[in-house]
Amino acid sequence: MLSQSIFCLLTEDLLIRVLHKLGSDRKQWRLVCKEFLRVESVTRKSIQILRIEFLLRLLDKFCNIETLDLSLCPRIEDGVVSVLLSQGSASWTRGLRRLVLSRATGLGHAGLEMLIRACPMLEAVDVSHCWGYGDREAAALSCAVKLRELNLDKCLGVTDIGLAKIAVVCGKLERLSLKWCLEITDLGIDLLCKKCLDLKFLDISYLKVTSESLRSIASLLKLEAFVMVGCSLVDDVGLRFLEKGCPLLKAIHVSRCDCVSSSGLISVISGHGGLEQLDAGYCLSELSAPLVKCLENLKQLRIIRIDGVRVSDFILQTIGANCKSLVELGLSKCVGVTNKGIMQLVSGCGNLKILDLTCCRFISVAAISTIADSCPDLVCLKLESCDMVTENCLYQLGLNCSLLEELDLTDCSGIDDIALRYLSRCSKLVRLKLGLCTNISDIGLAHIACNCPKMTELDLYRCVRIGDDGLAALTSGCKRLTKLNLSYCNRITDRGLDYISHLDELSDLELRGLSNITSIGIRAVAVSCKRLADLDLKHCEKIDDSGFWALAFYSQNLRQINMSYCIVSDMVLCLLMGNLKRLQDAKLVCLSKVTVKGLEVALRTSCGRIKKVKLQRSLRVLLSSEMLETLHARGCKIRWD
Amino acid sequence: MDSNGSLRASPWARSPSLSSSASGLSSDPLSFQGFGLQHNQHKWDDPSNSDYGISAEVPFKEFNQPSQTQSPLPCNSNNEIEIPDQENCHMSESSQTSALQDWDPSVMLNNLSFLEEKIHQLQDLVHLIARQKGIGQPNELVTQEQQLVTTDLTSIIIQLISTAGSLLPSVRHNLVNTSSLVGQIDQLRGTTIPSGTGASSSCIQQQNNGGKKVSDQSMQTDIPNNFEMEQNHNVGEQEFKDEEDADDGENLAPGSYEILQLEKEEILAPHTHFCTICGKGFKRDANLRMHMRGHGDEYKTPAALAKPHKESGSPKLIKRYSCPYPGCKRNKEHKKFQPLKTILCVKNHYKRTHCDKSYTCSRCNTKKFSVMADLKTHEKHCGKDKWLCSCGTTFSRKDKLFGHIALFQGHTPAIPLDDTKGVAEPPIHDSKENSNKAQSVNFTFGSPNPSNEVQNVMDVKGNSDDPISYFSSLNFEANFGAYNEFTRPLFDDSEGSFSFVMPGSFKSGGEPSSDNLL
Repeated sequence: MLSQSIFCLLTEDLLIRVLHKLGSDRKQWRLVCKEFLRVESVTRKSIQILRIEFLLRLLDKFCNIETLDLSLCPRIEDGVVSVLLSQGSASWTRGLRRLVLSRATGLGHAGLEMLIRACPMLEAVDVSHCWGYGDREAAALSCAVKLRELNLDKCLGVTDIGLAKIAVVCGKLERLSLKWCLEITDLGIDLLCKKCLDLKFLDISYLKVTSESLRSIASLLKLEAFVMVGCSLVDDVGLRFLEKGCPLLKAIHVSRCDCVSSSGLISVISGHGGLEQLDAGYCLSELSAPLVKCLENLKQLRIIRIDGVRVSDFILQTIGANCKSLVELGLSKCVGVTNKGIMQLVSGCGNLKILDLTCCRFISVAAISTIADSCPDLVCLKLESCDMVTENCLYQLGLNCSLLEELDLTDCSGIDDIALRYLSRCSKLVRLKLGLCTNISDIGLAHIACNCPKMTELDLYRCVRIGDDGLAALTSGCKRLTKLNLSYCNRITDRGLDYISHLDELSDLELRGLSNITSIGIRAVAVSCKRLADLDLKHCEKIDDSGFWALAFYSQNLRQINMSYCIVSDMVLCLLMGNLKRLQDAKLVCLSKVTVKGLEVALRTSCGRIKKVKLQRSLRVLLSSEMLETLHARGCKIRWD
Repeated sequence: MDSNGSLRASPWARSPSLSSSASGLSSDPLSFQGFGLQHNQHKWDDPSNSDYGISAEVPFKEFNQPSQTQSPLPCNSNNEIEIPDQENCHMSESSQTSALQDWDPSVMLNNLSFLEEKIHQLQDLVHLIARQKGIGQPNELVTQEQQLVTTDLTSIIIQLISTAGSLLPSVRHNLVNTSSLVGQIDQLRGTTIPSGTGASSSCIQQQNNGGKKVSDQSMQTDIPNNFEMEQNHNVGEQEFKDEEDADDGENLAPGSYEILQLEKEEILAPHTHFCTICGKGFKRDANLRMHMRGHGDEYKTPAALAKPHKESGSPKLIKRYSCPYPGCKRNKEHKKFQPLKTILCVKNHYKRTHCDKSYTCSRCNTKKFSVMADLKTHEKHCGKDKWLCSCGTTFSRKDKLFGHIALFQGHTPAIPLDDTKGVAEPPIHDSKENSNKAQSVNFTFGSPNPSNEVQNVMDVKGNSDDPISYFSSLNFEANFGAYNEFTRPLFDDSEGSFSFVMPGSFKSGGEPSSDNLL
């Protein structure tokens, strides 16, 4: 009661102020007392729903939200929407500005239209990966007159007509992503550019549009970022249109555009001296001399990615000498990257934070130590498949790059326990990839575990010498791990899984091919790791029904599961699929004990929730077509292996 | 393609032979001149004359009218020259025709000299054959050339016959028969002539072409001939374009053409060709000719069946048509009168503009047409790929619709109603729901209470006879409206079922949930 008297002194607006200062610990705040809970509820601006069952109640409580994110429970359907809008005051719709409906494949155009009409303030909608969406859904989206931001990624059915609907009505659109909307053609883009003159960001990746579209896009005076990945019909002619147009263009992304050559890029660059970001991976075979000359003029360039291009020392030197403000450099799979080139490059670019040297096999200690010396701000370094990286390299990194958060050492066979000991001086490491580093053992892992408490992602794929002791050290040191890959680390047993179960925040766990773990270990993980969302148990053949029982009952947050080649019975599979209400993606290939009937029943039980299933191809004819149609109709995609 | 076209082509065809003097034939200036004359003759043609007569008379006119100096030039036949030419013709038309009709000894003399010239040509040809036999050439070539020569021979002989025939006025009428004969020969020749082999043979062909043209043009047989097609191709296209261009902005000076005005009844009459014997009407003359065969053998002759030559070749005033509808822009009384070009134009114009639209499209039942052809064109496209705007306008092409939308503020494309997708509500939904209603939702999956586990197992086993409805997720949807009652007993679970996201953190990876409550 003492506490109550203290809180009586705090008025609501004071509480709100305090809450604003609080940052991320709102959950604890809520638990203090009812008054705090109430204040938190009314001031909450965004909400992400995990379970649709509680949607209505939550929306009643948090009536002042501006962002509603349903991407984690895309089970919303037309009926749900009508219930939501008819029950209660539905006051939450008044202020809603942002709606995330990614993968909400079950929602039809009628429901979508209802929802969008109910939200008069709506400014941003994300319907990405709703692969069944077409023009009707686009028409429904166009009811949001104030729309400024729209993500239509992979809405496969949207054609020029749908786009035209949106373009005509939503004239204030500023950000639009049309990635993978394969039906859209030049006509649609042309109309879009005539109607939505405020566009600042446009993504037309993988569209079958030609250079004509770029002629239209060039007329967008406010465009700042233009993404055009994999537009294989666009050529240099199109890029030449951009030279004269889009005066504010700052970022351009032309990766994997097969018909784009150096001359096209030159024209874009020469038209936009203020370019800050250039991504031209896998579209050039090499950088021509005139293009390199052009790069010299891009004084404000911050990000450049030229993956897969043949480079020379001279080119790297030119970039280093001229692009002084470079923050990110991507040279992934570039041919001709040498120690000398990298040394010349980084000596000029002291601000570099992200450096991708994936598959630059000739990088060795000389280059790495120069990087470590000249780039103290380095945050992310990718050295996958750089065989010549040894403990000396990591010594240099540990010495100088104290800010390093992400390091990819996948397939660097020179990494051993000593190297990891050096690396452990980078105490801010958050993501570390050690896949295929077969020389590391529990000792090395212990070094990392002791010194890198911030670690959230760790990849130990096929680190075969890692065993239960390493996991013991890891789980005691890196308590905040959310992603852990232990695939094919065959020495791990149930004891190791028991240690893993101490990781409260673990959400992604890959245990593929662990032949020594049984149901006991899985049960421990299932019981304790409440946040587990993605679990890979492929080829874990010692886990039996009781392990899957445990998953079915405890891992209520599971969204993806891979149980191919597992020994599970019909009934447990049915239970699993029926009981895991958040399950969206299941890979069910080669389940030897499961009959066709059992599988069919299991699929039926999850129908409406499940969005993606992988099945054996041979089952295609055996499963009833009626069931397959129902699955499809409710927005589930079946992948036949 | 009318005779004009083929005629205009002839100088092109012949011009190369001017420079090449390999063959004895082409080097013969006489024959050359003769063809040049024939080329021009059509402008003086009198419709009442048979063609052969005319070609015979050409030299005469040529010589007697030095004022027409430009006409013998073989390469004068572009359009610009043609029109004034024709006008000139018209001025002198009456006098000429009368002169032709008369029994004039000078004409006869002229014809005789033409005959003489032709005989010379024949001689040359035979010389050529003789010479070729002397030189030992491969057999194939020889036979080919012989064929060429013989075809030339036939054409010259035909010219001879026709000119000779024109000497006697009475013979003219029977010439139709010979012309059809020629047609047959022509056809034969057309098929046998191979494409040019060797310099000499090509020369012969060129020559030959010119010669053949006489018969061709005179007969109006539409038998395709290799050379004819090839060589006239370009010309034909060009001419076609000219015609189209002229369709709109034809700048004929008033009075430079003859205005005809058909009466309404005449325009609307279904048939224009009538059988003189039984009175049956036909739309096309060809059909009438086919019909005539039934009236007796005399109508079965090739000549009777052949297409009668057109009068268009005659040096007449250009004909233009006026619409009989008063006040119409196409009516000659109109201030800005724009004449119609052909009778067909008149018919279509009159029907489209001044008649009811009596043909309705059977597919859409909205579009109406007064010309059957228009309806048929529409029906080809009706219904398919209909691009619809929100304003109700329909377009046959998508780009047209988009152009329209870009132009008008607020117009959007309309989505056709027929293809309902129904992704969200499959029909199966209802039936299942009904079947589920029988089942009660007594199965508390997901309760993390281990003591429930056993109970659940038993439940499943107990209902294993109908597991489908038991497990169906639709249980939930069916009861969605009442999910306030669909409670999980544990408070903490409900708290854990949503997560609070900091602004900007959309990634699924960073979803905090309150597991620590458990």
